[in-house]
Amino acid sequence: MFNDTELAHTTIEDARTIITTYTGKPLRIMEVCGTHTHEIFRLGIRQLLPPKITLISGPGCPVCVTPVSYIDQALWLGLEQRAIICTFGDLIRVPGTTMSLGDARKEGLELRLVYSPLDAIQIAKENPTREVVFLSIGFETTVPGECLAVQEAKAEGLANFSLLLANKTMPEAYLALKNSADAFLFPGHVCAITGTQDCRALTKLGISGVVAGFTAQELMTALAAILILSRQDKPFFMNCYPRVVADCGNVAAQKLIQSILAPCDSEWRGLGVIPKSGLKLREEFQDFDAQRRFHIPHLESHANAACRCGDVLQGKCLPKDCKVFGKACTPTHPIGACMVSSEGTCAAYYQYGGM
Amino acid sequence: MQSTVLLAHGGGGAQTRDLIAQVFQNHLANPEFTQDDAAILKLGQEHIAFSTDGFIVQPYFFPGGDIGKLSICGTVNDLSCMGAQPKWLTCAFVLEEGLPLKDLDTIVASMAATAKEVGVNIVAGDTKVASKGQVDRIFITTSGIGQIITPNPPAGSLAQNNDAIIVTGDIGRHGAAILLAREQFGLEAEITSDCAPLWHLVRKLYAAQIDIHVIRDATRGGVGTVLYEIAAQSNVGIHIQQKAIPIEPQVQGICRILGLDPLYLACEGRLVLFVPQDKAQDTVELLQKEAHGQNAAIIGYVDAKQKAGTVVVETEIGAVTVLPQPTGELLPRIC
Repeated sequence: MFNDTELAHTTIEDARTIITTYTGKPLRIMEVCGTHTHEIFRLGIRQLLPPKITLISGPGCPVCVTPVSYIDQALWLGLEQRAIICTFGDLIRVPGTTMSLGDARKEGLELRLVYSPLDAIQIAKENPTREVVFLSIGFETTVPGECLAVQEAKAEGLANFSLLLANKTMPEAYLALKNSADAFLFPGHVCAITGTQDCRALTKLGISGVVAGFTAQELMTALAAILILSRQDKPFFMNCYPRVVADCGNVAAQKLIQSILAPCDSEWRGLGVIPKSGLKLREEFQDFDAQRRFHIPHLESHANAACRCGDVLQGKCLPKDCKVFGKACTPTHPIGACMVSSEGTCAAYYQYGGM
Repeated sequence: MQSTVLLAHGGGGAQTRDLIAQVFQNHLANPEFTQDDAAILKLGQEHIAFSTDGFIVQPYFFPGGDIGKLSICGTVNDLSCMGAQPKWLTCAFVLEEGLPLKDLDTIVASMAATAKEVGVNIVAGDTKVASKGQVDRIFITTSGIGQIITPNPPAGSLAQNNDAIIVTGDIGRHGAAILLAREQFGLEAEITSDCAPLWHLVRKLYAAQIDIHVIRDATRGGVGTVLYEIAAQSNVGIHIQQKAIPIEPQVQGICRILGLDPLYLACEGRLVLFVPQDKAQDTVELLQKEAHGQNAAIIGYVDAKQKAGTVVVETEIGAVTVLPQPTGELLPRIC
């Protein structure tokens, strides 16, 4: 085990045997993708794990890693500048310092839920007298769509459209999380865009992991691969999702991203500012940067002091160790971001009965 | 209590139950007020079932049906779930100024065809027209009276330990069809709604002397919501097997892409049945002979080992997890 052919032919039962009979050294495995978090809970994978293996849900859900200050900035744009705010659904329930975007509707904030950044372009065209701001969050998987929107806005000379950027990129985050895990389940969707070079290169920095897909068979096989590769006492990498992830990734998408965005430092909820882990618009697209366009002032932002989302995201504590989990903080009334999206760690723990 | 009505109040889940308890039950409670799909009432020596249902689906034409067919199926199925043969229906229309008459004609023709299939007559109606913008094109309410045909009518509180749980077909097609019909996601697939009147299925089962403990039609909220309702009303635990749940590959695919669970997608022509374990196979075989029951399957059982009120799923990898309860609105205006 394991070349590509063997990978494809590993059954759920094979993988299950490898996992349940594991007797090696203690291992902390971190997933950093909201879909992985959700599927691991849905399938009940934790129940099969021997005590030596710990699965940690890291910072993989875009909503979860978005800091309070970002919500406050969006609120300021919508309430003080009367901009129409366009966003993906989950973000509207994330609490800012005083309220969530959803709450702010009562204060007159005009909020539009969209399924694609291109929908926000359409809204900007239909409202030429209004400023329209798209809340641009997410990892490499959503970034190409946002780039297309910027490209189109530029081509059409749209003067009332901008993005509030808080996009994140993964490679630097692995370094920040190096001491939180012994191996990573690298996110298949992200790697489909970026390719595998970044993750492969991490082995030189002492970081191990495998690229994992999303079906029961793919996830179980990826976990089994980590257990087998961990026997060797050196950092490892393996692409366990070759059906979708090419080593070079999606070159067209990479070129698109590079032509419009450049790396920048970025604040992650709970992890603080990670150098070069965010994206900013290149100079020629600055007109579409809401930060610059509106000269957003410094806002005093602070999260609810009782909330431990930051520690949860680093695997420093489990959701049940947080005082507000399941009591004041529930999916209907989230206090922390990790309780908002069904891909959030706290929401998953809550919905699956605190397992 | 929330200060305004939210879309989540119409989702069929916990918030709908809160709204009913805090407002409707609070003011309207009486000994005959029901939590089931229809009230059972005594009229002379006869027992009748009486039900009403409103329909606001958007778009009003969708693959596999339209709001007219839906409005008949909804009330017919609610009556059927009480073991009642639908006898008479009434309908009320709220129409928006500007609705094409051709569309109205198509919708009413489809109501007539569906009623004919069931063998029920529409005996009275009402029409209101609202000015443009006051309603969204067409809203329909139907009410119906049915005659109970069994001495032991089913009820949500009658599930018993070890009962087999059966669905009468593959799940989630109505919700998926509506999602696609709205064309919001740029996705295409050939999925038709499961919208269908189910009286004949119920009639066949009673004719075969099957002792059905619970019948529920899985509408908004889907099969998952029904299972939680029955677990609560009957105070039992429920165990289902993921692999046994019939789901069309196209519906599964849409759910993967959009992050939805087919167990919580709406159906409009699927029953969830609780029957004694020794009758389960006979029931499925009977159902599979019928047009609206071809994909019927046993998906689980009432499990004395599980905590009352909970639903657990045996997953593809053989682990047993709690089925998460849905929170809030999944999709507005699906029925």
